[in-house]
Amino acid sequence: MIMTTTSISMAQDGRAQTNKKTFSRQTAVSTNIAADASIIWTLLTNGADISRWNSTIVSFEGDIVQGEKIKLKSIVDPSRVFTIKVKSVKAENEMVWADGTAPFFRGVRTFSLKSNPDGTNTFSMIEKMGGLMYPMAAKHIPDFDDSFEQFAADLKREAELIQNSKN
Amino acid sequence: MIDQLTKEFEDCRSHLRSYILRMTTNVEETDDIVQETYLKAHANIESFKGDASLRTWIFAIASNLARDHLRSKKRWPENVTDICREAALSNQQFLQEMGQIRMTSPQGNFEIKEHIAFCFTCISKSLPLEQQLTLLLKEVYEFKVKEIAEIIDNTEAMVKYYLHIGRSKMIEIFDKRCSLINKEGICHQCTELNGMFNPKQKAQEEVMKIEMAREAENGDKEHLFDLRTKIVQGIDPFQSDASELQLHHLQHNRKVMEEYLKKS
Repeated sequence: MIMTTTSISMAQDGRAQTNKKTFSRQTAVSTNIAADASIIWTLLTNGADISRWNSTIVSFEGDIVQGEKIKLKSIVDPSRVFTIKVKSVKAENEMVWADGTAPFFRGVRTFSLKSNPDGTNTFSMIEKMGGLMYPMAAKHIPDFDDSFEQFAADLKREAELIQNSKN
Repeated sequence: MIDQLTKEFEDCRSHLRSYILRMTTNVEETDDIVQETYLKAHANIESFKGDASLRTWIFAIASNLARDHLRSKKRWPENVTDICREAALSNQQFLQEMGQIRMTSPQGNFEIKEHIAFCFTCISKSLPLEQQLTLLLKEVYEFKVKEIAEIIDNTEAMVKYYLHIGRSKMIEIFDKRCSLINKEGICHQCTELNGMFNPKQKAQEEVMKIEMAREAENGDKEHLFDLRTKIVQGIDPFQSDASELQLHHLQHNRKVMEEYLKKS
């Protein structure tokens, strides 16, 4: 149920949007970044460096490689270690992380990058969570909007800083 | 063309040699790679299209050889100087050898700035290889991003990424460790060694001769790192007044690291 594509029209302004339903919730953010796709993608996939620039990640362990498990602590709930599987990685295009077990409860986060004619790249991040157990858990799951906006802003700032560094 | 190559090679040989040493920390391996660089350049001179400068082309060949040589070797830990200090203090023979070099060699002086360059080499080996290589080429040997992209056969965007992350990591390590720029810094090795080798000098006076230490209170970490790399730029580890002492120390650290990494 939650694996089906849900469309949220996203403005590329770095503002997060959440859609709530009885059995699922989806949060999305999108922003335009004036930096080379390789810089943005490497920032997103270099696990050894991610907590340096990404203020939403408290700690990170593991390699962001398809099929690997990663462990992270997020500012959303710093007391909890999330163990997440890297489901797929398509370089400079799309990456999917997932945790939980369908059909009871499952979260799927999709990161995507799309190049624009003006040379910028649009970064989007969508987290869909849901399942049969979702209604019971929903009230205990914190809001993601602030951390999504922070994530996108950090990525934009860092990538553009690198892009504009001296030659 | 061969004449041009030979002249360019001679002109950049000392930079090339120190660049490779800063990656391998091994004099013999450095000289092998430098020699092999010339032989390879000589054998392939027909393939030199002139898109890049000869210097860039020579550094590209050397960088490839060094990368091939180092790819399978583990990187050093950030606290390399702590580990090696402990090992040195329990190695009487090494300490005696250092004392002997200090007393007898014309290149056996000890200067804090020379140790800063030595320390930079050791700490930079904790970066992933591509980051170390890129950082050295830009910050110490002053290549442009475009030239580095040609040397390491990557895009300018990725060179900028490696540089940014390498610099950030080095700045963080020095900020945490180096007592010359941070009063809370846990490493005092340069002043400790100065006290050992130059007992008549006043350590604080010596430290204040270094611009980076004088400007430490301003707290601009990027600027302090630039001042540090200026020091490194000014020191040829094969020709400086302290070169024999520092090379002996570097050899010690390399051996300690080889043993340490074997166990880890």
